Amino acid sequence: MTTILTPAPAPAPAPAPDTATTQHRSVSRVARLVPVASGIVVVAAVALPWMVNAYVVSLAATALVMAVLAMSAQLLVGLAGQPPLGQAAYLLVGAYTAATLATLTNLGPVQLLAATAAGAVVAAVTGLLAVRVRATTFLMVTFGIGELVHAAAGQWAPGGSEGTHTAPVVALPGLPPMVRPGWVYLYVLACTLIIGAAVIVLTRTRFALLLRGIAAHEPRVQATGHHTSRLLLAAYTLAGAIAGAAGALLVAVTRYVSPADAAMGISALALAAALIGSGSMIGACASAILLVAARDWAGGLLSGHGSTLLGLSFLALAYLPRHRLAGLVSRRDRERT
Amino acid sequence: MSAPLLRLDTVSRAYGARRAVDEVSLDLHPGARHALIGPNGAGKSTLLHLIAGTLRPTSGRIHYAGHDIHRWPAHRRARAGIARTWQHPALARPLTVVQNVLLAVPGQHLAALRLRPRTSAAALHALARVGLAEHAQWPTSQLSYGDQRRLEVAVALAAQPRLLLLDEPSAGLATTEVTRLAELIRALPTDIAVLLVDHNLDFVTAVADTVTVLHHGQHLTTGTPSDVRTHPDVRRVYLAETDPTNHVPTAPKATTDPPAAAPPILRVRNLRAGHHGAPLLTGVTLNVRAGKVSAVVGRNGAGKTTLINTIAGLHPALSGTEILLNNRLVTGLSARRRCRAGIGLVPQGRRLFAGLTVAEHLALPRPHPGRPRTITARQILDLFPALGERRHHRPHQLSGGEQQMLALARALLAAPKVLLLDEPSEGLAPAIVGQLAAIITGLAETGSAVLLAEQNLALALDIAHDVAVLDRGTIALNAPAADLRADPARLHDVLAVPTGSPR
Repeated sequence: MTTILTPAPAPAPAPAPDTATTQHRSVSRVARLVPVASGIVVVAAVALPWMVNAYVVSLAATALVMAVLAMSAQLLVGLAGQPPLGQAAYLLVGAYTAATLATLTNLGPVQLLAATAAGAVVAAVTGLLAVRVRATTFLMVTFGIGELVHAAAGQWAPGGSEGTHTAPVVALPGLPPMVRPGWVYLYVLACTLIIGAAVIVLTRTRFALLLRGIAAHEPRVQATGHHTSRLLLAAYTLAGAIAGAAGALLVAVTRYVSPADAAMGISALALAAALIGSGSMIGACASAILLVAARDWAGGLLSGHGSTLLGLSFLALAYLPRHRLAGLVSRRDRERT
Repeated sequence: MSAPLLRLDTVSRAYGARRAVDEVSLDLHPGARHALIGPNGAGKSTLLHLIAGTLRPTSGRIHYAGHDIHRWPAHRRARAGIARTWQHPALARPLTVVQNVLLAVPGQHLAALRLRPRTSAAALHALARVGLAEHAQWPTSQLSYGDQRRLEVAVALAAQPRLLLLDEPSAGLATTEVTRLAELIRALPTDIAVLLVDHNLDFVTAVADTVTVLHHGQHLTTGTPSDVRTHPDVRRVYLAETDPTNHVPTAPKATTDPPAAAPPILRVRNLRAGHHGAPLLTGVTLNVRAGKVSAVVGRNGAGKTTLINTIAGLHPALSGTEILLNNRLVTGLSARRRCRAGIGLVPQGRRLFAGLTVAEHLALPRPHPGRPRTITARQILDLFPALGERRHHRPHQLSGGEQQMLALARALLAAPKVLLLDEPSEGLAPAIVGQLAAIITGLAETGSAVLLAEQNLALALDIAHDVAVLDRGTIALNAPAADLRADPARLHDVLAVPTGSPR
């Protein structure tokens, strides 16, 4: 793991107390398992289209889009401690940008970059309202922004409340348009991994440390000479960019966008996934995938009781192993820093 | 002398009709070591907030290094070189100790993935200055209270300030640590100006060249420490006309000892507790008798707060622990049921309810229906007249001393059989400590048992009947306070022995 915060040429190596040594031993065993486990997960994810039917593959692609949106929410709630309830608005901005651009080019990466930029710009503007407030009020303001974007899309976006259809995207110039769900899924998986890597790099910067400081004690961060609202606006803009990217991926998966994609339930799912992931980006992704699976896949098996299952899984995840998992993750973080 | 670094020009701050700071003017030159003292509620902390920018003055001007900064936000003042600490440790607890310092080290890029060697050296140097270098990688939440206070000083120093504002830096520190802190502040470069608020007059005398006394938000006098100590007005308002060399006023002593045969109300047998698997208390045995005050003293990190919290049920006890209240085992009970059974707690740092007024705080506690209510809200307000005037104020509008009074009042209203007090004198002016001592002694005389964890040795010796010294996880010495008063060297021998491990 990186040495982002480990003082590299430590002048006085700290003599570790006995207890810390034993803790270190058990933690390093866990830490050694992490690369192995993530390798297995990536291999399984790549092999998925050859293992299950097309329906499950397209669901998995949707789940990946939600995972990206959950990372966007996690940047705000997990790092900066401010819960957003309107991230789907920036997903919608990104999706409409990609859909509009699809009339000019069907190149996926171009749509993705444009959607990312559009999400960032809209988040930077609307964020001016959001970062003036904190905590529950932040939740209310972001919810309000989300509803306004939702309504504006129904009024003025191409296709109105009916939405608009787009052509299949092309992953790279010269390749055929992706029609089969397996290829679309692999394209979304690759984009998700790239976005995830970028986000994980972001969480190891000094910027992320300052955001964690703001979450813990904002006046202290101000007293060290930082304009905390400006830092939060930067975080909000980055979160909007990630959500915008998720929008472009959504268009690639469904080839359709409508104002309903910014429904409050989508924002709530992203926030819930981030909260269940208790501060960790990987946790947020895993919860988003589990939540989508519970809602759409297992719910389908249970003949339309998706929301029942979703509600139950929220309760179960909140009460059952999350604290133990959170303890494991945070202990590993502590070891790393 | 050159132009002052900081000039306060008739600065005021009003909360409604109450003027917490009332037209105070002050000059601070580079290299100054300036202390602000005054009774609780004098506006000392408010004045620091006004300089640091966390509060804006209602009127007046603040000039700093040639700029009028009274409208500047806090972060801009911090960048201009004003660093500060808070009265209660303001730290990012989820972060490690060194990360807290790194927040403040200047000259880092936001996108930086790795620390520059210069940056990490600066952070470690700041930690080494306060003696915390060994704990650099610890989670901040695992530091003892005194260590957290020292960490705050390290964070402030790491910002390389020109003006250092310290709010009660010595509160919660043991005597040897206070001495070290005084040496540290004296040894700071002469281009740094220090403005500090403190109640420990020995510390103030050791550190400050100039002392300003505030009273009811108004400037009373400014002078050298010895001038101020002998100033008649100061002695009247601040020291409550006690001997200025002994800043703990003598409390009325319980001359009539209750019968020695009184059985202990609270028995603690073989209490063991730890933090995150590291044992901290390894077999504490204590008795607290009705009508007696028992004090637990010990260095920072000795486990005083853990002991108190374990007895109250807020910290898990390890196996083998027995806590008996009136011969009834309460070890397995939750904190709520122990409170019902008659264990009252005044926690360190007060832990008041932020949104509730004083009157609402006093309406909350309810004694168990099975026991007669021994203290009414009216009696409490008689004990703490200052609270009576503040019935409709919320905790953040109260001074530190008034907050402590409220925390004590809240615990007393539940009519506990055993009262656990965790550092009640912390942050209180000497005259108020005297009142507090009288209140605690009075409580014991009415038959309550009191267990007091205290950093202030003089207070502990003064009001306790028994003193137990906590060291290396167990009681190193347990003796009647009268014996220790007669032979203080015994106590200092036990307390001064440095222990091998940091905990």
